[in-house]
Amino acid sequence: MTEPLTPVSSPFALFGKLGISGHEVALVLFLVVALFWALYTLVVIYHWVRYSHASKVAMPAIALYLVGSCVFIVLALSGLA
Amino acid sequence: MEFKREFELEPGEIVLREVRKHWIFFALSLVPLVVLAIVPFLIPPFIAHVPQLVLLNHFEGWNTALGRVALGLWWLLLWSSGFNAFTRYFLNAWIITNQRIVDIEQRGFFRREVSSLLLNRVQDVTIDTEGLLHSLLDIGDINVQTAGSVDRFTMDNVGDPPMLRDLILENAAAHTGMGNSGV
Repeated sequence: MTEPLTPVSSPFALFGKLGISGHEVALVLFLVVALFWALYTLVVIYHWVRYSHASKVAMPAIALYLVGSCVFIVLALSGLA
Repeated sequence: MEFKREFELEPGEIVLREVRKHWIFFALSLVPLVVLAIVPFLIPPFIAHVPQLVLLNHFEGWNTALGRVALGLWWLLLWSSGFNAFTRYFLNAWIITNQRIVDIEQRGFFRREVSSLLLNRVQDVTIDTEGLLHSLLDIGDINVQTAGSVDRFTMDNVGDPPMLRDLILENAAAHTGMGNSGV
């Protein structure tokens, strides 16, 4: 005789038990990733500016990276609004 | 904006070519990131096909507030990883001048090696092409053997290696009187 299927509890249910809402978890996650992104972006732009040897690729590459990043940040922020 | 060179050109020295790995290797490094970018859209069908997970019944799609946060942050991380791959691809270069070859190796952030090889020390230049992809796209390694040095100077996975070999040998010959005898 087979056992009946039992529901799998969501890992997010743990936060509910602790009295933390999903919105708060998302906000903390966003801040952590945004901080990491900001530090990484500063470092990588420093390397491009210092070591790209006046290449015409440098500024468009940095601009494209920043524009793409902004799109994803806005997408994430739209969920926090 | 002023860019700083990591090496100064000598009087009469001109840059002939900046060489990087073939772009196909950069493109291949993006494939895992593209796959990871579409993974979130594979999750709902996966949940639908696994009975245990169907009972979970908490996932409401990506067009929810938390879904957009998760998706935005996931793609931001992948986008940054892609730019990191391009940075490593672009900042690793060999610069061939009419007097030397400069090897610039970006080993990581804040870890960079710049070494020069004078063309008057070049004794031999060989090309090594191995594999289907390399043969089809004319990709190969260039090994530059120098006088009095055990180490070889290697440019790996560059495009059109015969042209680069000829360029190095022509300019080496101008310094040493060596003929174009590379293999």
